[in-house]
Amino acid sequence: MLSAEKLSKAVDGPDGRLLILDEVSLTVERGASLAIVGASGSGKTTLLGLLAGLDRPTSGSITLAGESLDRLDEEARARVRRRLIGFVFQSFHLLPALNAEENVMLPLELEGRSDARQRAASVLGDVGLGKRLHHYPHQLSGGEQQRVALARAFVHGPQLLFADEPTGNLDQRTGAAVSDLLFDLNREHATTLVLVSHDLDLAARCARMLRLRDGRVVEDDA
Amino acid sequence: MNPLVFAARSLRREFRHGELATLAAALVLAVAALAAVGTLANRVETAILASATELLGGDLGVSARRTPLPDSFTAKATALGLSSSRSVEFSSVVFAGDNSQFSEVRAVDEHYPLRGALQVKDAAGMQHNAAAPAPGQAYADRAVLNALGRKVGDSMQLGGRDLVITGEIVSAPGGAVFQFAPTVLMNATDAEASGLLGAGSRANFRILVAGAMEAVADYAGWAKDNLPASARLITVTEAQANLRNSFERGENFLRLAALLAALLAGIAVALAAQRFARRKTEEVAVLRCLGASRREIVLGLAFELLLLALPACLLGALLGLGMQQIAFVFARELLGTTTGSIPLSASASAFLIGLAVLFGFALPPLLRLRDVEPMRVFRRDLQTRLRRFDALYLLPFAVGGLLILLESGSTRLAGVLAGGLAGVALVTLVFTLLLLKILRAGSRRLPGALRFGLANLNRRRTLTLIQVGALALSLTALDLLAVVGPSLLDRWRADLPADTPNYFVLNLQADQREEFSGRLQALGADNLSLLPLAAGKLVAINGKPVRATDFEPDSRAGNFVEGEVRVSWSADLPPSNRIVDGRWADAHAQAAELSVDTSWVELFKLTLGDTMTFRFADQEITASVTSVREVDWDSFRVNFFMMLDPAHAENLPHSLISSFHLPPPASLADLSRAMPNLSLIDVSSILDRIRDIIGRVSAAVTWVLGFSLAAGILVLFAALAATAEERRFEIALLRTLGANSGQLNAAVLGEFAVLGMLAGLIAAAGAAATGIALAGNVFRMTDYTPPWLSLALVALASAVIVMLAGLLGTRRIAGTPPMLVLRHGT
Repeated sequence: MLSAEKLSKAVDGPDGRLLILDEVSLTVERGASLAIVGASGSGKTTLLGLLAGLDRPTSGSITLAGESLDRLDEEARARVRRRLIGFVFQSFHLLPALNAEENVMLPLELEGRSDARQRAASVLGDVGLGKRLHHYPHQLSGGEQQRVALARAFVHGPQLLFADEPTGNLDQRTGAAVSDLLFDLNREHATTLVLVSHDLDLAARCARMLRLRDGRVVEDDA
Repeated sequence: MNPLVFAARSLRREFRHGELATLAAALVLAVAALAAVGTLANRVETAILASATELLGGDLGVSARRTPLPDSFTAKATALGLSSSRSVEFSSVVFAGDNSQFSEVRAVDEHYPLRGALQVKDAAGMQHNAAAPAPGQAYADRAVLNALGRKVGDSMQLGGRDLVITGEIVSAPGGAVFQFAPTVLMNATDAEASGLLGAGSRANFRILVAGAMEAVADYAGWAKDNLPASARLITVTEAQANLRNSFERGENFLRLAALLAALLAGIAVALAAQRFARRKTEEVAVLRCLGASRREIVLGLAFELLLLALPACLLGALLGLGMQQIAFVFARELLGTTTGSIPLSASASAFLIGLAVLFGFALPPLLRLRDVEPMRVFRRDLQTRLRRFDALYLLPFAVGGLLILLESGSTRLAGVLAGGLAGVALVTLVFTLLLLKILRAGSRRLPGALRFGLANLNRRRTLTLIQVGALALSLTALDLLAVVGPSLLDRWRADLPADTPNYFVLNLQADQREEFSGRLQALGADNLSLLPLAAGKLVAINGKPVRATDFEPDSRAGNFVEGEVRVSWSADLPPSNRIVDGRWADAHAQAAELSVDTSWVELFKLTLGDTMTFRFADQEITASVTSVREVDWDSFRVNFFMMLDPAHAENLPHSLISSFHLPPPASLADLSRAMPNLSLIDVSSILDRIRDIIGRVSAAVTWVLGFSLAAGILVLFAALAATAEERRFEIALLRTLGANSGQLNAAVLGEFAVLGMLAGLIAAAGAAATGIALAGNVFRMTDYTPPWLSLALVALASAVIVMLAGLLGTRRIAGTPPMLVLRHGT
């Protein structure tokens, strides 16, 4: 489903070139779940961004569902994301101008689907927000916002889900409820999951764990 | 923390990260535009004044009736390093053989003229610049030569002295625009020797001075304090009453252009400051969290602004000076003036205005940050609780108002402009709120990306209001510069069309009317008007006798009472007259009716229904005021302060006065010989001079308008591109979710199209209304119609420009990898 070959990312800093990721290679099978863990600054989120085609690697290659991401321009990568990928972020990243239903409709509308409103309402019902369709993000609690984000991530039936610290901004109880929901939906939709977290309990719920340190894979329990 | 040190550090950091660059750029551009337009306007004004001094013959004059000015007036001029020239004017009759001609005689010293050139034709008909006539010599108008049957080289007699005519006057600085008699120019020593200037002579004695501007100003100050009772100062603008309107209009145009540039600058700075303040919110929250006091926050922000503003304003002022120098090099030919030193006052005031604009427009949003809740550190979406009303929000309006008042130099111009802009702001507020309501209800049916764009407008309600308001105001300013200004200039140039009368004829008798009209027709003259003229005395108002002694000595009213009053009549209201009160006289009125010019209404405090009694030889006529007229005295037509109804005036002793346009090269020499009693006044040269001045001034104004326009568009474009940055986060997120560039463009275009259309339409309507008010109240033009078609096209173009600017700003953002934006959050 997803494979990366010798993936590196370097940026120019005040003290010269800084290597954030150093030749990381990995393969994720369809329907599998992978947790990427590591300390702050170990390169987790950078790796996630590269795997999802949100940024380009300095060197190396990524293949996602048979498509070679590093050969695609931003426009083509956007098409791949629209078709195949769902996202969940630590800070939810809902659009404040749109209400819950409209936020969830977005991926469907970008695909030009006419049943967007009905689908969005139905998925929001599935995550327990059937009565909050017309609430705006600022009218929702953190847990509710993340549930809207989950609904948005799954609504268009993606093959791959990328989650970046999905419970990082939530208290323990809400975090646990959201992570339950995440794994339930993942199972239900048979989605391939790539999750970044430094919460080892959350990571342990994935079938496989990959540990990064200073941009290198130091442990892979595959 | 030390706010100053902190401010300096923040400034360095934020400048490097581009946070402050937009604000600095807006400020630099704004001050540059102001300095350039201001300096250019200043230099154009100086050029206008210079051409006016050529008409006066000096930079300043002092004129005294009946008695010569004391020697102290020339001594003072010498002491101040000014050159000076004395002259005396009086009416007299010149003779040659059996012929005679009543003339305006001007006797000048050898320094005449101090400014401009005296041009004469010699015996061979060659035109050249000449010095003042030597003793025993004189120059004369063609009308004098015609009447006397003499040519250059012959002699004539004046005051018992023989004078050799050494030139025919082509143009002589210092004369009145309208004289009822042709001019003779002679040497002052001859005039004194002729005995024509003895006690009781009705002569005007004049001293003209010229030199450095400051010295002239000093002299004017001194002269004002030392003026003899019968004397007055003649400044350049009042020297030529007919030109005053032109100068005033030119000046108002320039001020308008500078003012609009300043306004655009303020709006750009305000937009940039708003954005900067929003970006500062996180930092302030962290600082508050770490224990910074509100005072430290406010001081830090104020210092940061100051540290930014000082170099930006300085750079702007220097850039402006450079820009205006380039403009001046191009415009010099139009202005036809020599290079003077560059005035620095406009740059200095642009520098100060830049500071005032920055603090006035940027402080309110920044000071609001002191209310940021430290909790924002944990919850970014936490809204800052706003106070319902903060006096600070009045600051930008106060600065804007003050700016308009100071820069306009005229309360009329300031009032019209402030009123127009306030109207635009109010209409924008109402219509934007209305549109947002409609969009909220109707956007559900729109496709996703477009709906997203429009939903953004509703979410940022306040920001949307600010942006549409700023856009509408700046587009109004641009419309005024681009469309209304030039159309007002066109209207001005149309004031003196090609068939404007260039000849006046006095003394025409009623029985000569037919022959006179026939001869003119044969010569190809057009635009002929013939009006009766009766000369009488004003003897009573409302039955109460009036005497010159009732008024201040030498006041205008007193002079009218003491001298002759010229009255006319006509069945129809003459062209270039407009009734402002009452009705035009009834052709078959039972009792005598009178129409009065507005200036007389003020002078004699008249109201409708008042009666005035005039004596014409042995007849007395009492008429009641039935209408008040506004007369366009610049129209070069025969006009009268007083007009009676024809039924009661017909039998008064009168002659006829005529004006007409005679296309060159037709000559009136035959007419003058056949009807020797006629006084012909040729105003072609003064007409040409006025046309020339209008042409030069309007060309220069066009330049300044264009310059302001270019600067304004630049400022607006920068501000708009910056507001597109607001959409950085949303665009990155849409990208992450897979939106393609077409969908991103649809969202942005939808949003900007609505902003642009609304602002463009309101601005066009606002500019049209402001234009009408400017024409009527500031430029004193009647029948001005705004160019509706151009305005409509400009409204459309504005929407397109706004969309393009938005798209351009977004393009830059859309190129950033979404990861970067998402990691840095909002």
